[in-house]
Amino acid sequence: MNSFELVVPETAEEAVAALQALAPGEAAPIAGGTDLLIDVDEGRVAPRRVISLRRLPWKTLDWNAGALTVGSTLPLRSLEEDPQVRVSYPGLYQAVRAVGSVALRHRATLGGNLVRSAPASDLVPVLLSLDAEVDLVGPSGDRRVPVDRFVQASRRTDLRPGELVRSVYLPEARPSAFLWQRVRPSNDISQVAVAVAFSPAQRRWKVAVGGVTPRPTLLPEASDVLGSGRPTSSEVRRASEIAASRAAFVTDRRASEEYRRHLVATLLERAVGSAVNGGRFPA
Amino acid sequence: MTSPPLRFQVNGHPQHLANVPDSERLLDTLRWRLGLKGTKEGCRTGDCGACTVLVDDRTTLSCLTLTHEVDGAKLTTIETGPEDLVVTRVRAAFDRAGALQCGYCTPGFVMALAGLLKERGTAAAREELLDGLGGNLCRCTGYAAIVRAVDELRTEGP
Amino acid sequence: MSGAVRPDAVVKLAGTAVYGMDLDVPGMLWAALVPAPIAHGRIVSVDLRAARALPGVTVIGADDLARLLGPGERDAERPLFPHEEIVYRNQPIAAVAAPSEAEARAAVALVRVEVDPLPIVADLETRFPEWPGSEADAAPEIAAHVRARHGDVEAEFRGADRVVRETYRTASVHQVALEPHACVAEIRGDVWYVRTSTQSPFGVREDTASLLGIPETSIVVDGTWVGGGFGGKGSSFLEPYALLLARATGRPVRLALGYRDEFRLGRTTLPAVIRMETAVKDGRIRARRVRLLLDVGTSLPGRDFATGYSIGFLLGPYRTEAFEVEGYAVRTHKPPFGPHRAPFAPQCAFAVESHLDHVARELNLDPEEFRASHLWREGDTTPLGQPVGPFGIFAAFERARATARAWRAESPPGHGVGVACGFWSTSTGAGGEVRLRLSGDRLVVHEGSREIGSGSVLGGLTAVACRVTGLPRERVAIEYSDTSKAPFDSGVFGSRTLGALGHAVEEAAVALRRTLAERLGARGQADLSVDRGEIFAEAGGHRASVGSLVTAEERTAGGILAEGRHFASPRAIDESRVLQGSFYAYTDFTGGAHVAEVSVDPATGAVRVERYAAFHDAGVVVDPGAAQAQVEGGVAMGLGAALTEEAIWSEDGRLENAGLLDYRIPTLGEIPPMTVEFLEGFAGAGPFGAKGLGEPPIVPVPATVAIAVREACGAHATELPLSAERVARALKLL
Repeated sequence: MNSFELVVPETAEEAVAALQALAPGEAAPIAGGTDLLIDVDEGRVAPRRVISLRRLPWKTLDWNAGALTVGSTLPLRSLEEDPQVRVSYPGLYQAVRAVGSVALRHRATLGGNLVRSAPASDLVPVLLSLDAEVDLVGPSGDRRVPVDRFVQASRRTDLRPGELVRSVYLPEARPSAFLWQRVRPSNDISQVAVAVAFSPAQRRWKVAVGGVTPRPTLLPEASDVLGSGRPTSSEVRRASEIAASRAAFVTDRRASEEYRRHLVATLLERAVGSAVNGGRFPA
Repeated sequence: MTSPPLRFQVNGHPQHLANVPDSERLLDTLRWRLGLKGTKEGCRTGDCGACTVLVDDRTTLSCLTLTHEVDGAKLTTIETGPEDLVVTRVRAAFDRAGALQCGYCTPGFVMALAGLLKERGTAAAREELLDGLGGNLCRCTGYAAIVRAVDELRTEGP
Repeated sequence: MSGAVRPDAVVKLAGTAVYGMDLDVPGMLWAALVPAPIAHGRIVSVDLRAARALPGVTVIGADDLARLLGPGERDAERPLFPHEEIVYRNQPIAAVAAPSEAEARAAVALVRVEVDPLPIVADLETRFPEWPGSEADAAPEIAAHVRARHGDVEAEFRGADRVVRETYRTASVHQVALEPHACVAEIRGDVWYVRTSTQSPFGVREDTASLLGIPETSIVVDGTWVGGGFGGKGSSFLEPYALLLARATGRPVRLALGYRDEFRLGRTTLPAVIRMETAVKDGRIRARRVRLLLDVGTSLPGRDFATGYSIGFLLGPYRTEAFEVEGYAVRTHKPPFGPHRAPFAPQCAFAVESHLDHVARELNLDPEEFRASHLWREGDTTPLGQPVGPFGIFAAFERARATARAWRAESPPGHGVGVACGFWSTSTGAGGEVRLRLSGDRLVVHEGSREIGSGSVLGGLTAVACRVTGLPRERVAIEYSDTSKAPFDSGVFGSRTLGALGHAVEEAAVALRRTLAERLGARGQADLSVDRGEIFAEAGGHRASVGSLVTAEERTAGGILAEGRHFASPRAIDESRVLQGSFYAYTDFTGGAHVAEVSVDPATGAVRVERYAAFHDAGVVVDPGAAQAQVEGGVAMGLGAALTEEAIWSEDGRLENAGLLDYRIPTLGEIPPMTVEFLEGFAGAGPFGAKGLGEPPIVPVPATVAIAVREACGAHATELPLSAERVARALKLL
């Protein structure tokens, strides 16, 4: 087991400085730690210094009209407990509930999940479908990056040296749904995950899938054929076919590529149905 | 590398711990430093729930928690005495329902269920309690007696 | 806490029960095993110098054994560390002890192993793409080849109306006891002392003695509380290494496995291919050919029990006029095959039940009626010529069918209800003894097997003692002690504890009652009762307190003593039917029939078990609560094997899903509401006619689920587990 030094900065500036003081790979931030500590144990990372984010004022949930800003170190459990999240962002609520166990969600965070950037992440597809953006703090100031650009591949993101995820911005409440299939329904990693959301402002659908390589991805062509409102059943079928043919699925020990293609079509159809019938769908 | 001494409340008693390495897990601190072996080591990857404890009354996987990260917290483990009324009630329900066999997952289950009750109150829906135990693995009971323990708790009233 | 339902609840709910993982001895060192880097290869060198240079670290390898152990005769076929050849990945090639766990791991990382790779046998069907012929007997991969037959098989197949042939494949499944293997060893003077989490302290002692080449009497094994066994903790594993390190360092040594290594090194059920051929005429099975290719990992030739024992479960529990059975145990570069709750029987039942269900459907016969009409009844003989003893399988099947009919009447479209049988034979073939000690106020049962959670020791033996003596439970105590003090027992495995050790308790308790009667000047057996905290004995009209019947000498030894023993009662098969290899007779015939209602998602193939019922012949139920709990637990474990559990071995001998995230045992959410019912009146060899129940409940489960899936959606899956993807393929969705 690798041993490291833990520092607990009081401010974002201190945290950034602590991170920047060492070469990338030698320092790692910790929020919930539910991914980082396993990576440390299994030798995938060997930081000399771990920077705790626990004293930063980032365990927040801020509403501004329909827009929501989720602090990066807010435990997922708090996100799921917020009654408004369930109503305004049903897809996000469903995806958060799908992550690990209650005990895990009491520590795991949205920021950590984004930075881990797992191809099988349940949260990234939902964030993609909601056009979420990531607010970063870093040595050269703050910046905002769409999740679609932030997440690159497993354990690879757009984070620059010294940068930290401060929050995630969701611009608009959207009728949405998140569906997954797993070998074991409880407490497992999804074989395929599908997130769909309808933007009332843009009057268009967003479809994203997880369980693909190299990372969860939006499927714009599938989104487009769903039209600008309640899609017809043939539009949904067409979108499903596109999703099945375009998504970059792989074969691994959780499922074959072929089966994933088959699943995505079914899940997409059901997810659209759930988003449309979940209430609050604009007329 | 060790940070300054830690101060906890463990099962109602103040605890000061010096020289705890920064990278030490709460699981190991409880077991090997405080001798609280009732918290069990299973997978160490957060997948079995055997190491579940309460940190400020919230269910927490002690295998994936750095001890220093919960400095100042109130910790509750299976060794807690009758002053923790919720844990005591859950224990009694497990006892009456015979909801254990080898007993290795039992402390984790008791703490997970106690944590849910503390979080949600005793009026929590049955489905919610059962769903909230999905991160605790048991290989002996087939969960049937554990479900009976949950039902016992709910019928006995607050 | 009262411990009213389970006496061990008191310590287990207080967190004070000490398991192997919890052992903590002042001054102890932390040990770790050095894993082989590849699955098969010739060792060029093992360089321990860098690891040994670490402060406080001791490292031992193959070259150190003679120095540490002296000239004793060690098991040459099972060297603790390989001298020349590595035969499975992660095989221990050295062991380290260090002041802390982190230092032990650091030392492991510094051991340099140079190996010339050799080709590996990773998989049954890669090695034998065609079924092995008689020439295979000479192949080094064949650990055993067994054959038996009876009747004119060829003629029956030639004259059949219909012959149905199928191939089934079953997965490697792991016990997944939540507590990893763990022990602490010390050398105390001349005694090699080890405390360990084990199903069998005496088994560990015997096996450790053989591996280390030291006398059994020099070894003392003390069992801790056990965090689940399920067959995986039945013989020695870590203990010899910990003892060697204790010897080398002069310090107590703790050796425990991390959970990933628990999977990688665990000895368990490995994959198999099963071929079934059935000849039917006039709606009756005339002949069966059954062939098994079983992966036994690096099990040693001649020491593979699985093939000859398990293969019998592919023939029953159904009547057949003629049969031919053949099994090969195939060595691959994996850890040795090891017992896992009813070893390989759930896999056999899956093939047998699914196949006979399929045969009936092919013939347009009612599948349940077809099986019912062929089920063994008492008085039948097994294919190997052993009389079928009292056996409630037919009664259980009838109850299960009735339940299935009721469920079908109310089940919605997309649901399916399946019924299947499973039979097993409990291992009362292993002996044991107990001592009872009766004082004025309590009866102590002194024995040498630790309660592993099944309840068979604390619940079962107590119940037997109470039933024979008439004493209430609170007057009976189980006293476990280590192998230097306790009477011998074989251990808690094979569903044997209640039948074998319980039988010894029964015998001892009867002896005790006779002694008391004698002391009261009467014949027969005294009756016991409790009056104001004192135990009284009564016989032939005389009554006295037990306190007054204990002699002064006995008082110095804790009370009136009585001993009881269980010996295996020999059973035989008709050896004329055996052509090659060893087959085994059954002791008690046990098992049951299960019903599952499942729903299958027609678009994804995902299976959900909606409700479940289990009907079991347990002979006479001695402890109803514990009996129900065994069935519930066994069914849940079987549901894992049916739906989600599969250890995946790669082409280079690596276990790809060595962890509890990707090796998926059921969680609470996957377990359906369940009912359990016992069919009594089919007496077994245990006390009062009891039969063991630890293993049988897992046996019918994968078959029951598979048949229910077929009922629900028509998918005939011939491979375990029935993952959604496999069901989707069977449904031709892919």
